[in-house]
Amino acid sequence: MSSATRKIVMSFAATSGAAALFLLPHVVYAVPPHVVAPTMWWVWMLLLFVFSFVLGIFSVLAGVGGGVLFVPIVSSFFPFHLDFIRGAGLLVALSGALSAGAPLMRKGLADLKLGLPMALVGSISSIAGALAGLAMPAQLVQLLLGVAIMGIAVLMMKSRLYGKPDIQEPDALSKMLQISGCYYEESSKSELPWQIHNTPIGLFLFMIIGFIGGMFGMGAGWANVPVFNMLMGVPLKVAVATSGLVLSINGAAAAWVYIFKGAVIPLIAVPAIGGIMLGSKIGALLLTKVNIRSVRMIVITMLVVAGLRSLLKGFGI
Amino acid sequence: MDKQKKYQAVDEVQTVYARVLEIVSHVGFVFLSVGYLVYVMQLLPLSVPIEAIAGNWHLKASEMQQKLQIPAGWSFVSSTAALGKGDVLSYLSILYLAMATVICLVFAITAFYREKNYLYTAIAVLQVVVLLVAASGLVH
Repeated sequence: MSSATRKIVMSFAATSGAAALFLLPHVVYAVPPHVVAPTMWWVWMLLLFVFSFVLGIFSVLAGVGGGVLFVPIVSSFFPFHLDFIRGAGLLVALSGALSAGAPLMRKGLADLKLGLPMALVGSISSIAGALAGLAMPAQLVQLLLGVAIMGIAVLMMKSRLYGKPDIQEPDALSKMLQISGCYYEESSKSELPWQIHNTPIGLFLFMIIGFIGGMFGMGAGWANVPVFNMLMGVPLKVAVATSGLVLSINGAAAAWVYIFKGAVIPLIAVPAIGGIMLGSKIGALLLTKVNIRSVRMIVITMLVVAGLRSLLKGFGI
Repeated sequence: MDKQKKYQAVDEVQTVYARVLEIVSHVGFVFLSVGYLVYVMQLLPLSVPIEAIAGNWHLKASEMQQKLQIPAGWSFVSSTAALGKGDVLSYLSILYLAMATVICLVFAITAFYREKNYLYTAIAVLQVVVLLVAASGLVH
């Protein structure tokens, strides 16, 4: 069997395994809350840590934030109420962005002038999204989460990101906001200047993304990066790095709403943060050693199936 | 030489933000780890037993709040009974993490102002106001 065929077979097997696991009836693995022995809390915490660790590895390899995988998958497997999972999900996204932020900013990849206006509109709407999400019945949130996750999976499949889009003429708003820059490209050993366009539409979309992120407690790298790169013409590396900056601000704004509603409990949030962060570091080390396309396919499948499960739970099935 | 050239493109505000972010996030993660160990190993007394939380984590946040009076927002500040408790220490580490961005932005504001970039000084001030309003609990 050739190496390419073996990779395809292995990724197919892993994907099928993940799909089968997700589509098993709820009663097979999801422990009903009333039979969880409170004295066994440490087993759940250990499982959450290990699970988050694995998610951390996958999220880096697939190029998505940990938050987007965390909420739908943990809500399928663990006995915690969705409120606490969303609260932890926001902190997971926030922590990841904070820990990666400093080096990216020093290299000029995360750009404050690009990120701040987007974060300002996004943070206001993420507060609104968090308020709306916590006011809704959990079943409705599950249903909407299912729709959102399916949409993200489609976006990941369809996105064609560009390394360095060629923007001939920046728009008036981006000129007024002084948004342009220059970063050092290691591969070509040269400084690459960049400018952007479609800023007003970008601002509007960041408002929508902030709302969705706040409502479901997810990070928003899955949407920030395509909007920056495909719509506004931001080079891919700058888009990914600045997305983290926006996430750290929007995540913090929405997290406060969850904190005040009592939806952030350290017992659940801290192992999730620790697991994802350690997993992300291992994922970064594995980045050059695994077939990224296969991993991305597995993650998209996991998202589709998790979205499907959320939809079914939303319909009470 | 290359390295020097690489950083020429990065302006002063970014450098300040990065420096503060690095310190704030390192402190945050140490605080988070120590706070959690103190909490789960019960090295300090707890305001709510872990078993009580585990027995109710299937409830909505508002229902659990009503039943157990777990810390929410800044509620522990007004309660002297909460001081010196392991779970409150761990909770405090999470609040610190949520405040990290505000700390970085405050330094960015002073750097933008020193550069006489009044537009971004205003944007950063507005951003801090939004985060402080959220952190004050006025909108929950």
